[in-house]
Amino acid sequence: MFNYQFDWAIITSGQYFEWLVSGLKITIQLSTVSIALSFILGLLIAVMRMSNVAPVRWFAHSYLEFFRNTPLLVQIFFWYFGSYQVLPESVNEWMYEHNFEFVSAVIALTIYTSAFIAEDIRSGVRSIPKEQMEAARSSGFSYLRSMQYIILPQAVRITIPPLINQFLNLAKNSSLAMTIGVAELTYQARQVESYTFKGFEAFTAATLVYLAISLVITALVTLYSKKILNPIGMR
Amino acid sequence: MKRGIVLFSVLAFVLGLFGTALAADVYDTVKKRGVLIGGVKDSTPGFGYIDEKSREIVGYDVDFLKAIANKMGVKLELKPVTSASRMPQLMAGNIDIIAATMTKNAERAKQIDFSYAYFMTGQKFIVRKGKVKSIDDLNGKRIGTAKGSTSEQNATKALPKATVISYDDYPQSFLALQQGKVFAITTDESILAQLLGKAPDKNKYEITKFAISDEPYGLGIAKGSPKFLKLVNDTILEMEKKGQAKKIFDKWFGPKSETPMQRGSFKISDKQ
Repeated sequence: MFNYQFDWAIITSGQYFEWLVSGLKITIQLSTVSIALSFILGLLIAVMRMSNVAPVRWFAHSYLEFFRNTPLLVQIFFWYFGSYQVLPESVNEWMYEHNFEFVSAVIALTIYTSAFIAEDIRSGVRSIPKEQMEAARSSGFSYLRSMQYIILPQAVRITIPPLINQFLNLAKNSSLAMTIGVAELTYQARQVESYTFKGFEAFTAATLVYLAISLVITALVTLYSKKILNPIGMR
Repeated sequence: MKRGIVLFSVLAFVLGLFGTALAADVYDTVKKRGVLIGGVKDSTPGFGYIDEKSREIVGYDVDFLKAIANKMGVKLELKPVTSASRMPQLMAGNIDIIAATMTKNAERAKQIDFSYAYFMTGQKFIVRKGKVKSIDDLNGKRIGTAKGSTSEQNATKALPKATVISYDDYPQSFLALQQGKVFAITTDESILAQLLGKAPDKNKYEITKFAISDEPYGLGIAKGSPKFLKLVNDTILEMEKKGQAKKIFDKWFGPKSETPMQRGSFKISDKQ
């Protein structure tokens, strides 16, 4: 009894195609910016988490637990709607003129993902024998410098596979940005559906594009780790 | 003999495939079943919602279905639907008719048949009091609405310079208005009236007088049932003529109701 007429032409050309492409652009922007920022922030938090200074360690620990254990959707709403109560009126108004939806989504995705990345990096660091740190410190490196030159370069290499997972999750999680009106890929697919009732076509296209984005991320990170981080086949 | 069985089963299979094409008029199906199955909203105040006392779905939409079932001399059974599920449910044959605040439009009319309009509303705006006199005051501003509705479409067309932001649902777009993230929110007047009715600071806002579109609601039935469509149309025309339609409107949307609205000059007619 299910008589559904497929109509692929609707999404391969014309207005609806353009919508999907513009959604794809936003998804790529959102993912790229957030991946870069969350990696940097994740590194920072990981280093803080392993610091010898107790308050710094506690701060990093509570940051991790808080942002890892609350739903991303709630965090997105928090940054978008909650910031209104905290910030002064003039700042709010300035933000609304400057693509506040996109910025809130980047903040939420970055902070959420950085918590996971920090834990992955920490486990990478812990797999490096602690003698290396001791050797570095006794050679006169400060704690931060030993991390920077000796421990982290090795730890990040070991962390590559779990990092790929986090980046993939981030790219897919970026679809939640549509709840605050960021016109990314899923938003546009839904829009095409509500204009044409051709939901199957629109979401099939979106699914394939997400798959392609994920494969590209995997390929890029793998290439980076093989060609740049690890040219002599260490590990 | 064996060949006969094979031939028969092939025939049955093919007939099964074309079952939808050969299906009887919904009118006959309903008559035979003795029950009319109607898809209605169950959380839209005024149109279709669960009454606190009787625990039954009641509303403007429900009363129209009751009248149609009466006319056919069958019982009425209600199934809750959502905006997203109502058309697939109808096309799959799970319900016979949709009465769920559905706007008639050309895209939808390609997939299902509509009755004449049985309710008329318009797409308007909620704005801060005294800020907006005409539609020009809205151009270039940020306008909030909800996804999956025709509202976004109309707003983009009427206000080409405005930034239209679609939130997940209307309460969020109202929150964005309260926080100043958008200048106005837009959708059907009936939904705006409900939103504003619930807001604690409703005195700060108003619904604009001007509308950017007419939103005629139609009853939806599956294509290929001319007899059923005619019966539905005749019934609602007769309800208008006898004053029953206006009575139902006043019951749910009159000045004393919880979601008061203007019926204006609207009458059910074969023009719409």
